[in-house]
Order: sequence, then C-alpha cells, then structure tokens
Amino acid sequence: MRAFRIRSMLLLALAVMCLGVALPAGAQDKPRYGGELVFAVPSEPPTYDGHQEETFGLMHPIGPHYNTLLRVDPFDKTGTKPVGDLAESWVIAKDGLTYTFKLRRGVKFHDGGEMTSKDVKASYDKIIFPPAGVKSSRQAMYQAVEAIEAPDAYTIRFRMKWPESSFMLNLSSPWNFIYRAEVLAKDMHWYEKNINGTGPFKFAEHVKGSHWVGKKNPDYWDKGKPYLDGYRALFISSSSAQVAAVRGERAHIQFRGFTPADRDSLVQALGPKITVQESPWDCVLMVAMHHEKKPFDDKRVRRALTLALDRYEASKNLSKIAIVKDVGGIQVPGTPWATPPDELEKLAGYGRDIAKSRAEAKRLLKEAGVPEGFSFTFKNRGIPQPYEPVAIWMIDQWRQVGLNVKQEIIEASAYHPMLKRGDFEVAMDFACGFIVEPDLDLHRFVTTSDANYGRHKDKVVDELFQKQARALDAHERRNLLRALEKRLIDEEVHVFYTLQWHRIIPHSAKVKGWTVTPSHYLNNQLDTVWLSE
Amino acid sequence: MTKYLMKRFLLMFPTMLGVAMLIFFLIRIVPGDVVELRLAGDSSSVNAKVLAEERAKHGLDQPVWKQFLTWLWGAVRLDFGKSMWTGAPIYEEIKLRFALSLQVAVMATVVAVLLAIPLGVISAIKQDTWIDYAVRIFSIAGLATPSFWLGIVFILSMLIIFKWLPPMVYTPFWVNPWQNLLQLIWPALAVGYRYSAVATRMTRSAMLEVLREDYIRTARAKGLVEKLILSRHALKNAMLPVVTVVCLEFAFLLGGLVVTEQVFNLNGLGLLFVQAVAHRDYTLVQALVMIVAGFFIVVNFVMDILYAWLDPRIRFR
Repeated sequence: MRAFRIRSMLLLALAVMCLGVALPAGAQDKPRYGGELVFAVPSEPPTYDGHQEETFGLMHPIGPHYNTLLRVDPFDKTGTKPVGDLAESWVIAKDGLTYTFKLRRGVKFHDGGEMTSKDVKASYDKIIFPPAGVKSSRQAMYQAVEAIEAPDAYTIRFRMKWPESSFMLNLSSPWNFIYRAEVLAKDMHWYEKNINGTGPFKFAEHVKGSHWVGKKNPDYWDKGKPYLDGYRALFISSSSAQVAAVRGERAHIQFRGFTPADRDSLVQALGPKITVQESPWDCVLMVAMHHEKKPFDDKRVRRALTLALDRYEASKNLSKIAIVKDVGGIQVPGTPWATPPDELEKLAGYGRDIAKSRAEAKRLLKEAGVPEGFSFTFKNRGIPQPYEPVAIWMIDQWRQVGLNVKQEIIEASAYHPMLKRGDFEVAMDFACGFIVEPDLDLHRFVTTSDANYGRHKDKVVDELFQKQARALDAHERRNLLRALEKRLIDEEVHVFYTLQWHRIIPHSAKVKGWTVTPSHYLNNQLDTVWLSE
Repeated sequence: MTKYLMKRFLLMFPTMLGVAMLIFFLIRIVPGDVVELRLAGDSSSVNAKVLAEERAKHGLDQPVWKQFLTWLWGAVRLDFGKSMWTGAPIYEEIKLRFALSLQVAVMATVVAVLLAIPLGVISAIKQDTWIDYAVRIFSIAGLATPSFWLGIVFILSMLIIFKWLPPMVYTPFWVNPWQNLLQLIWPALAVGYRYSAVATRMTRSAMLEVLREDYIRTARAKGLVEKLILSRHALKNAMLPVVTVVCLEFAFLLGGLVVTEQVFNLNGLGLLFVQAVAHRDYTLVQALVMIVAGFFIVVNFVMDILYAWLDPRIRFR
C-alpha cells in the first residue's frame, strides 16, 4: 500500500513536472489582474546599479523597475531571441556597421519624465564609455562600438568599428537598464542608491537583509501590463529556508534554482499546488589545467583527463543529486549554437564507449611518462552544489585510469584569486552567463583573457574566436564554432567541460506567465507574470 | 565601591583597543578581498585597472598602518565608515539587525530565566526525588540539543502538522507586536531552551551548595520561615554563578546565533557577520566585532555591579 502511494506520488509529480515543462507559460489561460508575487532571493544587491553589478541578487529584485533597449523574448525557452523592449523597430546595415533603432513614444520614467534617445545614449555611454571613477562591469563586451548617436528624440544609432554577430544579443543584456540622462548628467553615481526606471513596477521599499517591494506602475507604456499589483522579494540566504518558504506558501517562487532533492520534496509535499519548470542552465563547471606545470603542459595528459570521464553515465546519476544534467560542449545544449549530440560524440571524452576511451587515456598517460598511481591535487571551490559531487565523480573517474587525485577545497571567497594567481595544477573553473551567446561564453579562452586561468597560448583559438565573432553568416559562424570547439577541448584540450548545470524551478502553481530560460539573469521584468488566485 | 566600578570602567578602553587591533589585522590575513569578490561575480573577470581603481576607492592601496589609524580615528568618533560591499553607512547596515538580534537575545533570556530559576530551585529543594530527576532530564536534554536543530524541528512540525510557517520578514515590535512575536517567539524558544538548561544546572548546584551552608542552618535553627530562608538567604547567594552564566550567554546571543538565524531566516547580526566575512567586507566585520565586543564589555560591567549588589563583600574589598 505504502509502495503504491509512493509510486502514485512520483507519477503525479512526473505529470506535474511534464505539464510545467511542456506548456509555455504564455500559452496558459487568460491573465488575471491583481495580487502580489512573493519570491525568495538567495542574495542581496550590493548597490542598485545594474551597469556595475554582477549578481542575480540585483537582477531579481531590481530588474522589474527597468526596461532595456532590447530584451530576450520572455517566452523563448532558449533565452536567445532578441525582441524590442524600448526599441520598437530597428534596421541593421548590410555591412553590419550601423544599427539604427526607433524608440517607443510615450514612455515615462517613474518620476514622470519622458524617455527619449538622450536617455538611451546616456545609459549606453555610461556602459561603454564610462567616465573616470564610474564602474562598468560589461564594458569589454562593447569594444566594437565606435560611437552612439541620437539623431532625433526617438532614434538611436550605434556605429561599429567592425561587424559583430553577437551585438543584438549584447543589446538585449538584462543589465543594460535605461537610466534618465538628466539624472546621470547631475550625478553618475545616483543610480547606485536610487531607482528611477521606465519598468512595469515602481520602487516602494528596501529593508536591508530583509525584503524589497515593488508596486505596479499604472503609467506603464505597455498598456494592460503588468498584471500584478506588485511584488515582494524576500532575501533568504539559507537554501533550506527558501524551500520552507515555498513549501509553507510564504513565497511563490525562487528564480535562481533548487536542487533535485528540493524539487522532489516540494512536489511530494505540495502535489498539484506546485509546478516545476526545468532547463539546461547557462552555467558550467570546467576543468582548468595549468599549462606551465608538469605534466599538464603535455596535451596527452590533458586529453587523458577528459577521456577518463563517462559523462553520459554521470548525467544519469549525478542529475539525481546535483544541479547538473546535460552533456554539452562549448554551448548550452538545446540552444542555437550548441553542438549536435552526434558531432559531440566525436570529441575527446564524449565517446559512448567508455572502456575504449579509458584504454586510450591510459595509453596516452603511459606515452607521456606519467606512472601508474601518479598523484596530483585537484583544487575545488568550497560550495556544495554542484562543485562537491562533480569533483568527487571526477576523482573517481580519474582513479579508473590509474591517477591518484587528492581534492583540496578552497573557501569560495578565496577561490577566484587562487585561480588568477595560477596557484594550482588542476582546478575547477566555472562560468555562468546571462545570455547564451558564443562571444560571451568563449571570450575567456582567448590567450590574453584574464580568465584564461590555465595560461594557454594558442593563436589558432584566438583567430577562430575573432572570426566567429565577426561572422555575420550563421552557417559560417557555426562552422567556425565547431572548429574552435575541436581545437579547445579535443585537439589541444586547453580546458574541458564537465556537465551542464541544470536549472530547476519548482514554483507555486498560481504563478503563470513566466517561462524558465537557461539563465537566472533573464526574464525578471515580471511584466508578463500573473497569479491565478 | 566607586573605586571598584571606576577601575572596571577604565579597563574597558584598553580592552576595546586590543580588540580593534586584533580584528583589523586578523581579517586582513585571510586570503581574498572584497573588490575581487564583488567584481568577479559568478564567473566573469574584470581587468586589473578596474580592480585597482576600486581598491583605491576603499583605501586598500594605502599601507596597512595608515588604514588602521584612519579607521581607528573614525571608530573613536563612532564613525565606522561605509560597508565596502554595499557602500552604505555601517550604522544603516547594522541598526535594523541590531534591533532584531537584541530582541531575540532579550526574549531568549527571559525564556531561559523563567525556566531555569524555578526549575533549578525546585530541583535543589527536592533533591533525589522524581521532580529532581525530571528536571535533570529536561535540562540535560536541553544541553544535548543544539538550538538550530530544535529550530528545524519547530519549523518542520509547523509545516507538516499545521501547514503554517512563521513570517519570514521582520516586523518591528512597535509596528505590529503580534506579527513580531509570531516570527520571533520560535527562535526565542529554541535558543532559550538550551540557554535555560545551562542556567538550570547552575542554579541547582549553586542552591545545593548554599543550602548546606552554616548560615542557612542557623536561619532554620532560629525558626525562620522556609520560604524566607530560600528567597532571602539561599537564592540571593546562589545567584552569583547564575548571573555570570546568564549575562555571558546574553552577550553571546547578540552575534552568535548564526545558524539559528539561517534556519528562521532572521535578519540578525550573526548572519550579517557571516556574510561580511564571506564578502571580506573589512569595515563591516570590524564594526560588528567592535559592537559585539563592546556589548560583552558593557554586560561584564553590569555583571560586576550585580556582583557587588549580590555579595556585599565585593563592595568593601
């Protein structure tokens, strides 16, 4: 009887999950007006300025106050389709050197001022050409921009030094809030402590360490939206308290993600009251190998390390206990530039025949003069999910090709400086993107990048990266990306990928109009979200 | 008495200076820095120029001794500067959290004292009876139960049995007393129980010792009512070690409830402390340590006054 009950619960959970995954939120019933969305945020914004911060702790509570020039389609599950936000239409010159955008009219800032091209120009000038003393975290993404012009009140034009295939998505960055030019002219730091956007929700309250409240903007330019009366972000750092908040219906959702165990416990406890949306996550753990330290200067050794990993088996097992799942290459599986599975299988470490791969790994190690039982230290970041389980899995896999690996956990705060100092032989590297775009994800592997922790020097990688970044033809770009991937993780094995993170969002079934994407930085404007009860 | 108190008061200053020096240099020994952490985010890296500019903004490019003197001069004027993580004034970061932590500490102390003193006294009076055994079991269970675990049990019980969870957002008592108590009573009970266990044990043993003293026997011999003997002669004298325990625990609670705060999602000083250390927010860590240390020192001072009141010998020493 008990077994039957458990089976029934699991079947029900599966059905609920499938329902949540299968139905795009936008295709659900007619939106209902009213209500306050309550969500948990595991982190808190250091300042309120999206142009300088990097944490989702800013994006989740503050994103709904702003619009951007373009945005990623809130119903696109791949999170890669740019659509207009404050831009109504646009024209891209054939040579890819000029982007002209027509802006919406009648858009008002929360202080009542009208939004014009002056505001867009001032905001992008701050992002791309920040004056001394003003921090812009993503300035490097816009190196191709030569100038920003505002020929009239409702037209904004970007002139480029060279064509850049990622530019439209770069302009869809959720961080590029449009600020008021008048305010910036008086004080470039004003937005660090204040809010004044054009977004669907107005700022109401921030109690440090506790919560953030936004109220519906009744003058929002997109008539009929937003549906909610407001939202309340609760800052909850403990993951168990976040789960308890959703379970106790004190919060509808947490937009970053939960573990598989949390998902299962919520589904079991709440049954049909919970909906689960899942997606491959634009975050990945990679393995960095120090190219200036022996024997990792030898590409045969690096190749052996990736060949030893049975990624497909790990995907099945680790996805039950950790926030990882899909086997992927240099791009998130299921997104436009991702490597098709049959091509992926041809790369080192992605073959289906693990016995053959491991035999090859052993041969390569022997050939490189690495003795059986060779010992090295693997440095890992002191964060449980998913660093710990992934590291334990890899250490076991490496043991199976005769390597004796010791794990050293470095406290999270000290980890990044350690990587930058190059104080490791082999270490866990990590990346989390805000839009799945090859330029954003792969720039770190260019020889001169600050994030090239393994310190490889490879002109071929650099050239391929630059060529794909400037290729305007999708087919050409795809081929260049495949070549770059092969060079990076197969031929030279400068670095290799473990498993793609997996984003799991179990949320109250009352929450409608929100679609999970591969990035927890996306889809936080909340203009399409509504509550069914 | 005045001399005694003055001496105690003056001792506060070198103690605070020692604490200031210790925390200032210790936090800087720990690897990692706030600028790198803030700008590195989940994964991205920023160039060295931006990092250097940001470090200069926080004065981290200055020699350590200069940083220390600048900070110390501010601290003397009760200006702890701005948080390196948020850029907000330290007092703004701390004020709400201080109010919450202080309230939990006070409530837990009230719970503990209300439980410990009657139970400890009864247990001592009824030594080796079933009442004594029951109290001993209750207090030993309290000693063996971490308050965060008890907190988790409270939360799960409320969730599973009553399908209810305490409010997750702090409402100050003067805004809405009911909401405030609904949130804080549970951590106060969880912490207060463990705290009471220590105090109960201490009260019991102190009472047992005092009840065997000659002056108690004399009081009984001259026919004094038992109630008076216990309250006026025994309890007051037995309170010295209990006061020590209660005061020290009270001071500890202000910043020491890290895990319990996480369990109940309390926006208190303990959690802020952990976040500040994780962020390497030097100014905030330093301010928090100074506040907690200052609180300890003040509580110690109050404890000295209480000692003098409880034990006249101290006053005349």
